[in-house]
Amino acid sequence: MSTPAHAPPAGGVAAPREPRRSRPPARLRKILLPVLSLVVFLVVWQIVAATGVWNETFVPYPSTVWDAFVAVSTTQDGTRGYQGYLLWEHLYMTLRRVLAGVVLGVAVGVVVGLAMGTVPWVRRVLEPWLTFLRALPPLAYFFLLVIWLGIDEAPKITLLALAAFPPAAVATTAAVAAAPVGLVEAARALGAKPGQVIRDVIVPAALPETFTGIRLAVGIAYSSVVAAELFNGIPGIGGMVKDASNYNNTPVVLVGIAAIGISGLVIDGLLQAAERRAVPWRGRA
Amino acid sequence: MSSRAEQDLTEQTAQPEPRPGAEGSISADGVGHSYPGRPERVQALGPLDLHVRPGEFLVLVGASGCGKSTLLRLIAGFERPTDGTLTVSGRVPEPGRGAGVVFQQPRLFPWRSVGGNVDLALKYAGVEKADRAVAREGLLERVGLGGTADRRIWEISGGQQQRVAIARALAARTPLLLLDEPFAALDALTRERLQEDVRSVSHETGRTSVFVTHSADEAVFLGSRIVVLTARPGRIALDLTVDLPRSGVDPDELRGSPEYAELRAQVGHAVKESAAVRA
Ligand SMILES: Nc1ncnc2c1ncn2[C@@H]1O[C@H](COP(=O)(O)OP(=O)(O)OP(=O)(O)O)[C@@H](O)[C@H]1O
Ligand SMILES: [Mg+2]
Repeated sequence: MSTPAHAPPAGGVAAPREPRRSRPPARLRKILLPVLSLVVFLVVWQIVAATGVWNETFVPYPSTVWDAFVAVSTTQDGTRGYQGYLLWEHLYMTLRRVLAGVVLGVAVGVVVGLAMGTVPWVRRVLEPWLTFLRALPPLAYFFLLVIWLGIDEAPKITLLALAAFPPAAVATTAAVAAAPVGLVEAARALGAKPGQVIRDVIVPAALPETFTGIRLAVGIAYSSVVAAELFNGIPGIGGMVKDASNYNNTPVVLVGIAAIGISGLVIDGLLQAAERRAVPWRGRA
Repeated sequence: MSSRAEQDLTEQTAQPEPRPGAEGSISADGVGHSYPGRPERVQALGPLDLHVRPGEFLVLVGASGCGKSTLLRLIAGFERPTDGTLTVSGRVPEPGRGAGVVFQQPRLFPWRSVGGNVDLALKYAGVEKADRAVAREGLLERVGLGGTADRRIWEISGGQQQRVAIARALAARTPLLLLDEPFAALDALTRERLQEDVRSVSHETGRTSVFVTHSADEAVFLGSRIVVLTARPGRIALDLTVDLPRSGVDPDELRGSPEYAELRAQVGHAVKESAAVRA
């Protein structure tokens, strides 16, 4: 360890520390910063609640919300969770609906997007309808769905599917239209038939952007879940939130909101991981 | 799935051996091409007459932008000439019908591995799935990439990518092979090896080849015929039949011969002159 003579003395002191310092912070910051922001948030919340500016019905203490979380997650004094269902059962029901709705909406959306991207007249016919549907808030057509389909699972899943459909369709349409001409020509030169060009070139080339569309679709479906569970929504997180709000049960509402938000984060993380595995060529086409 | 007899049949129909006659011939009469431009259409090529006999190795040389790629695109069938008539093997050319193409850029499919790219070409050529692995390895070895089948496209160098593109174009035994400056990105050593390869491939299989290059040396080494185009719009400035002894001659010996040097000088001179003079 001989330092060159021209190295400044200060550098000689800092140098051995440098490698140890630059490695862990990058990883630590990734975990530490979010955790820190959470802590700050809880502290601010506690202070705001303690000032008593707002009635405790409106801004309960973090500890009250925690108690509510424990209460809805367990069976206490013969009361099972919230309205007879534990938190995870509400969440499970909601996730099942979201999954069914998203799978339906995304499947139809991707197929429609493929058709719109490859056949110009299909695009011209469908695009205005798609834009119309996209402009509607899910609640607007939910009442119609209830009239048509009742208050059981059908209208809920249909609503989520309708919410997930446009982003998937729009992203796929754009992705297909942007498929690299050079690669399409290469496939045609190799003797690919039109169907093979779509399957072997256009679909994989569109996959990265379609994935972005799917993430958007899941997000939009997820944010429509409270609307979807307005009627007969228990078990279901949305139903739980709506029911609790009827009784000004703010702690349970907050537990429900946190459950929706956190599960949404987890799902998006899973989708991102799936995307990395499914389309490693992203940005390289 | 299919019986052995059927398999043989599909292989035969999918990979037609070039037969003597029209198969592999190119016939251009008054062919010109213009692209839509801002004030007016841009004449990119011709008009020119060009007749290529089956089995010829035609090298196209000309200044940048003179329309070489355009001519190849016409022959490949990606575009219809705006003037004149062009037939390939006696028919109006269509992509994927009888012409293997190596583009100026490799144009590999990044969602498939090196081997996957070749596999796809073999599939389109009608090779049965069971036979593809052997065929793929053979093609990759031929371009000096044996054992790289599992590599990702973005993990290999630009020159290696171009070689995969060549292997892919060789997958179907088309009567015609179109190559657009395929060796531009390669080092001298690899280039010479591949030049020898391409020449022997076209010689052995009797394929007609159209090869675009900027290099007079490459033109003389490869071509049985060299066509020098004028500056845009490209017309024929020089049409030269090369009569160097080919079979059984060592490539280095060939390159060192005085006839070779003379031809190279002639082509180089024609290229310089044609680039300066607008037709
Ligand atoms: N798609 C296009 N639209 C408009 N103009 C084009 C198009 N493709 C080529 N051109 C023009 O046509 C002319 C010939 O182009 P081409 O690509 O055939 O040249 P080239 O001889 O292959 O050049 P290089 O040696 O640089 O590859 C050029 O002037 C080019 O600008
Ligand atoms: Mg070119």
